[in-house]
Amino acid sequence: MKYFAGIDIGSTSIKITLTDEEKNIIGFKTSASGSMFYKYAQETLDSLLQELNIDKNDLAYIVATGYGRKLYKEADENISEITANAIGAIAAAKEYGEIKTVINIGGQDSKAISLDSEGNVVNFAMNDRCAAGTGKFLDVVALKLEIGVDELGDYHFKSTGTPLSVSSTCAVFAESEIIGLLGNNHSVEDIVCGVHYSIAKRIVKLVKRVGVKEGIYFDGGPAMNEGLVNAIENELGKKIFIPKYPQVTTSYGAAIMGVDSYRYEQNL
Amino acid sequence: MSNNNQHKIESPKDRQNRHKAMEAIKLLNSIKEDFKSPVKSMDYFYDLFERVYCKNEALHSENVKVGTMCIQIPSEIIYALDGVPIRLCNGFYTDDEIGSDLLPQKACPLVKATVGHFASGNFSDKPDIVFSPTTCDQKTKSGAIIQTFGYDVIDVDFPRTKESEESREYFRKSIKEFTTKLSKFQNKKLSRKNLKASISKIGYAQSLYHELSKYRENTIVPILGIDVFLITNAFFFDKIDNWIEAMESLLVELDNRNKEKINAAGKLSPRIVYTGSPPIFPNYKIPHIIEQSDAIIVADETCSSNRMFNDMVAVDEWLVNDMLDSIADKYLKACTCPIFTKNDDRIRRIIHLAKQYKADGVIYQAFAGCTVYEMEQRSVLEAMEKAGIPILYIESDYSPSQHGQLSTRIEAFIESLKTRRRNKK
Repeated sequence: MKYFAGIDIGSTSIKITLTDEEKNIIGFKTSASGSMFYKYAQETLDSLLQELNIDKNDLAYIVATGYGRKLYKEADENISEITANAIGAIAAAKEYGEIKTVINIGGQDSKAISLDSEGNVVNFAMNDRCAAGTGKFLDVVALKLEIGVDELGDYHFKSTGTPLSVSSTCAVFAESEIIGLLGNNHSVEDIVCGVHYSIAKRIVKLVKRVGVKEGIYFDGGPAMNEGLVNAIENELGKKIFIPKYPQVTTSYGAAIMGVDSYRYEQNL
Repeated sequence: MSNNNQHKIESPKDRQNRHKAMEAIKLLNSIKEDFKSPVKSMDYFYDLFERVYCKNEALHSENVKVGTMCIQIPSEIIYALDGVPIRLCNGFYTDDEIGSDLLPQKACPLVKATVGHFASGNFSDKPDIVFSPTTCDQKTKSGAIIQTFGYDVIDVDFPRTKESEESREYFRKSIKEFTTKLSKFQNKKLSRKNLKASISKIGYAQSLYHELSKYRENTIVPILGIDVFLITNAFFFDKIDNWIEAMESLLVELDNRNKEKINAAGKLSPRIVYTGSPPIFPNYKIPHIIEQSDAIIVADETCSSNRMFNDMVAVDEWLVNDMLDSIADKYLKACTCPIFTKNDDRIRRIIHLAKQYKADGVIYQAFAGCTVYEMEQRSVLEAMEKAGIPILYIESDYSPSQHGQLSTRIEAFIESLKTRRRNKK
């Protein structure tokens, strides 16, 4: 049996997905990127193989992607996270329908990708300059509100007032805005809801740059936050599809690329 | 595409309402929380704006709503014909963004927001008929655009000069024409009794504003300028009797505050006269920055506030035709809008306000795209320089983005006024 690994080394976390030759997910694992991308990626891969009881020699092909992809020297190939994300999204949403637009919010960036009917990337837009409206921003917000990042979704739906918008999505300035709101005894729920809408508005602007085409897929860790999902849906006025494991779409795409490259090389 | 998440998605109307509610609540919270000694009677107005703009409460479901596109449509006549005037000049960035898709990029944000609001058709009190005076070019043109959205829009001719006797006659005729049209629409004859009553009622409302303004002449000013903008803006759409009642209790409180020497601002806070394109809720961007930067607005020369209340209808003979002529004169002759060919009246008014309210400086805002205010900037600046009154000219729009740069400029101006005052002593 041959296995294929996609390793996505992001700014905040490492995501590894293993597939078989049929491109089915066999397993995945995530860990924090920390300070030593290469070392932690190695360790994560080793422990994933161990958990699944797979011999390292059965790994036929490794594809690295993400910010840290060039640091992973053992990879047979490395591809950009834009391509990997698109491939992964199409495969992950296979049973649901055609994907035309991919929204990804990562630890320190966010992007919108537009696909043609064959799944090729035709256009994409990324946030620039700063961590505004990314996963990092949600971390900062949760920390200031003294709640867990995984609780943000629940708080969002409990909001009963008008969402309190945070005008600067700059993580640093927003922090002081949030402190101000808390100081005036506003409810955490309304603040969380407002923060989600502020991020959603930014994301939707990004999506509009590439064109909103139905068949919208949203991934990256923040896609697990249902409140944020709801805010983006409301801002777009459209349903979006969230995969079962939103944080590993890109590494899954990299693994699929590995299967294809491997087959191609075998046929040479 | 089937899906695994079960959230309900907002309709475009709900989304627009949420965006507007978020804009409104952000400003209202800041006004309520960021200043040291709030006026309790203002709660009526805070609550009113929250009900209308966050909860979309209709105030006039029982009445015929007469939409007006500018200050020059006389409320006196509308009330006398059993209608409720609702001024539809709009201050929401949400609506400005909608209007941006329909009008040129460089158009005025107020016009874009107003047209955007009509395009969305999303009103808590939807106008049954709209009167659009031919004031500035952009408003004149937008009447016709709004008509294409399916509204009943009637133009009201308005002259661009006010010096001549001809223009006076012209507008008097125009007001009679307006009365005939509204009277037909309402299927009601304009009676002497009703018109007299509505002139008196509006006159009384104006007198309450004048009383309020008296307190702002004092060294210790008991109320913030931004609160006054809320009060005058509420007059756009509130039930007039409720507004009058709220003002009466506010004046009682202001009298007490005045006796107890409660200052809405700081000891050194420079006193500002505000002029230019009208601040309309919730676009209080510049006034808000001014008062957050430790200055206080003591008077204004804008069509969303002072210009509505300053001059009263002066009637010679209480006969319908004479009353209509007096109304026309008030709305034309007293108007200091920069659309007029010559506009020395406005300069005189600003200088007069600066002296009467002992202002340290004037802040002049023009909306980017509001050509007439942008053009008149030069003559006003020259006149202020001659009169020795410091003035800051700012161009801005409805977007929330340039807050940082604007507050730096305004703070620097206010600091310079403080230094000037210290050096004088």
